[in-house]
Amino acid sequence: MMETLSTSVLSTHGLVARYGDFQALYGVDVTVNEGEAVALIGANGAGKSTFLRAIMGLLPVAPDMVRLGGQPIGGTPTDRMVQKGVAIVPEGRRLFSGMSVEDNLRVAVDQAERLGRKGGWSLSRLHQLFPILKEKARTPVQSLSGGQQQMVSIGRALLCQPKVLLCDEISLGLAPKVIREIYAALPEIRGQGTAVVLVEQDVGLAQSATDRLYCMLEGRVTLSGRSGEVTREQIGAAYFGGSHAVV
Amino acid sequence: MTSVPLSPTDATLPKVTVRRQTASGRVALTLFVIALIALVAMPWWAKTGTIRMILELCCYIAVAQMWNMLAGYAGLVSVGQQAFMGAAGYAMFVLAQTFGVNPFLAIFLSLLVPAALAVPCYLLLHRLDGPYFAIGTWVVAEVFRLVASNMGWLNAGAGMSLNVMKDYSGFERNVAMSLLCALLILATIGGSYWFLRSRYGLALIAIRDNPVAAASQGVNVGRLRFMIYVAAAVGCGLAGAVYFMAQLRINPPSAFDPMWSNVAIFIVMVGGIASIEGVLIGTLIYFIADRWFGEYGASYFVVLGVMTVLVALYARTGIWGAISKRWDAPWFPISRHLILKAEDRA
Amino acid sequence: MQWFDALVQGVLLGGMYAQYALGMALMFGVMRIVNVSHGDLVILLSLIGISLATSFGLGPFWVMAALVPLAVAMGWILQKVILNRVVGDDPLPSLIATFGLSLALQNLMLQIWSANSRSLPGGGIESRSVEVAGIYVGLLPVIVLVFATALTLCLDLMLKRTRFGRALRAAAADVEAAAMTGINPRAVYASATAIAVGILGFAAVFQSLRSTVAPADGGAQLVYAFEAVIIGGMGSVWGAFIGSMVLGISQAIGFRIDPGFGVLAGHLVFLLVLATRPQGLFGKS
Repeated sequence: MMETLSTSVLSTHGLVARYGDFQALYGVDVTVNEGEAVALIGANGAGKSTFLRAIMGLLPVAPDMVRLGGQPIGGTPTDRMVQKGVAIVPEGRRLFSGMSVEDNLRVAVDQAERLGRKGGWSLSRLHQLFPILKEKARTPVQSLSGGQQQMVSIGRALLCQPKVLLCDEISLGLAPKVIREIYAALPEIRGQGTAVVLVEQDVGLAQSATDRLYCMLEGRVTLSGRSGEVTREQIGAAYFGGSHAVV
Repeated sequence: MTSVPLSPTDATLPKVTVRRQTASGRVALTLFVIALIALVAMPWWAKTGTIRMILELCCYIAVAQMWNMLAGYAGLVSVGQQAFMGAAGYAMFVLAQTFGVNPFLAIFLSLLVPAALAVPCYLLLHRLDGPYFAIGTWVVAEVFRLVASNMGWLNAGAGMSLNVMKDYSGFERNVAMSLLCALLILATIGGSYWFLRSRYGLALIAIRDNPVAAASQGVNVGRLRFMIYVAAAVGCGLAGAVYFMAQLRINPPSAFDPMWSNVAIFIVMVGGIASIEGVLIGTLIYFIADRWFGEYGASYFVVLGVMTVLVALYARTGIWGAISKRWDAPWFPISRHLILKAEDRA
Repeated sequence: MQWFDALVQGVLLGGMYAQYALGMALMFGVMRIVNVSHGDLVILLSLIGISLATSFGLGPFWVMAALVPLAVAMGWILQKVILNRVVGDDPLPSLIATFGLSLALQNLMLQIWSANSRSLPGGGIESRSVEVAGIYVGLLPVIVLVFATALTLCLDLMLKRTRFGRALRAAAADVEAAAMTGINPRAVYASATAIAVGILGFAAVFQSLRSTVAPADGGAQLVYAFEAVIIGGMGSVWGAFIGSMVLGISQAIGFRIDPGFGVLAGHLVFLLVLATRPQGLFGKS
């Protein structure tokens, strides 16, 4: 990449991951700089979610394959990744069902306190960002709408006070109006100096919301470049097959 | 012997055959048949004491293999199979002693009882989640024991004796025990082998590997589990009826002895779960250990318990798992190998 | 009057069972594990308590003060050494490991304490009774019930109000998501088992005060705890508490009908609940 290591907050180097006998990632190099928003696009099964899971320590990877602030941290247990400042909004939201909105969020507040993570996020700030969460504080999360659940999931990750926020398909299954509402929160999140990695199916949305993007295909990066500069043709080629292009 | 040509008319596919038997399998099958013949011929080469000992060994194999089918393939961990052993044992005693049915006929008739009891038991227990199923089977065995202890016509806590066996000569009894040993092994080991090689076996292996995926591939997981549960109840029932016929006495604590579960779990886990080979190896180890160290009583069971823990922690596949990792020579091959026909490769 | 008396006795018996059931409900709720040696641990702790009492002349209160921390430590070690290695989607490894542990513990106790039944000398507390609304009730069962209620209340408050309780509920709902929120699942599991076994420290004192204990008794205690949890409905501590009451009352009434029918009556009520309301009396379907 063009960026130097000193400004990169999170980077992967030849990241390889497998589920048992099935290899899902074949040497992925991705760099995320401080405060930057990076999109990860690609078809279903391209390995985007696997990439995030591998970073979060949910798949076995070698230490050198993932670096945080230059330090090798590949394969660190998930809870320790949170401690080091990486949080994830997981695919399918994964809220703690049976618990109220407030309790879901307080779990993150508790753990950030326990792990000694300090940052700009608090329950009241989150309530400014997503006012509905204050209104529904006592509601069990399973009875929220999809969009509201997504807000809880994002809020829970933010309350971990991350340096890097990984978002796995936060627009999936939501109405366009709700997606706009959620994406409207991004500038505020980035305003805290938090770098954001967005896994996104909607290419247009990904391009408009990020600084740079990577396109993945069958476990490899097939395109990387400035989000505003890559063309539809380049993305099309990278999405469905072709050679790696750097713009 | 079981080569099945696949789509021989389709020119675009390579011609393959499915190989289902191996050299090691053929050797083992021959030995198995020889063993069965030796069991049948026991009255002519073994003393009564030896026959009784081998009968006990056969019961261990049978009960362990039934537990193996449940836990190793159907994903149903039971700690209460003694319920069906005792139920069949009691049924046999009632038929033979109370109603005067021929004891050997009574053994087969008594199998209806575990079969009939297994149906409501499964329908109740399958509602319990994972590990709770196991404790549920224990409760069922306890219920059976308490009911037997309270039933007047089972002579309550005092138990029953099989006095009608006195009508038969020692040799006749030896012949009967030998035939029953052979039948027990044929039914439980042979029956399991046949079942695992059938199309049900494929489905069962799919369930073992991933129940959710198996269900999505059209395997009726619930029905197959139900079938195995009932079959295992009958298999344990047969072992119970044979065992208590040889004992000549039955009472609630012996009929529903949890020791059978301890032994079955030890045998299968140490020998190697989800394999018939493991059951045979495990039984042999248990049987020898029992003969050598049984006199140490409690300390012997402490060692048995600790070994079970260690296997669960560090060696889930048991001895046979370790062997089959190194040498691919199954005694009871159940997998299907696709073989490309050499002449078609050119 | 006789039946009312049975009812009272049943509630008091339920207080005993609740102390076994709470820990089992907690462990299953968080880890989907059933510790087969749950009952054997009660017996082990009881026998240790009896030996402490006879060797050092300790009264029941001091025995309890010694047993509870010991039980907490045992639970923590159990989780670290055995259960953390077998927790997972497949119920088989945890069942087999704790089953083996149960077999080993039972026989180890048999060697150390022999098969004899023993009980804890209570200094008269076990034979005293108090008059409540015209009927005499043993003082000890009332104390047992008070402790059981207090333990249930504390556990419930702990789960709802504390940081650890929230972490525990989060791990129970979705352990991977809990880790993504910074929770260390293994630390939570170890604490949960320490609490579950710790409660058995109280249970051990009461069990050996109100009746005798022998090395082979553990299986029955496991079964009662299990039945109470299923009757009450999984996933709530008050469910386990009410389930214990129902089981205790069933056994007491069964015992009044015929002494040989007491335990069986409990089993039959359990099977009846399983047949008609498999999610338990308080469980959500």
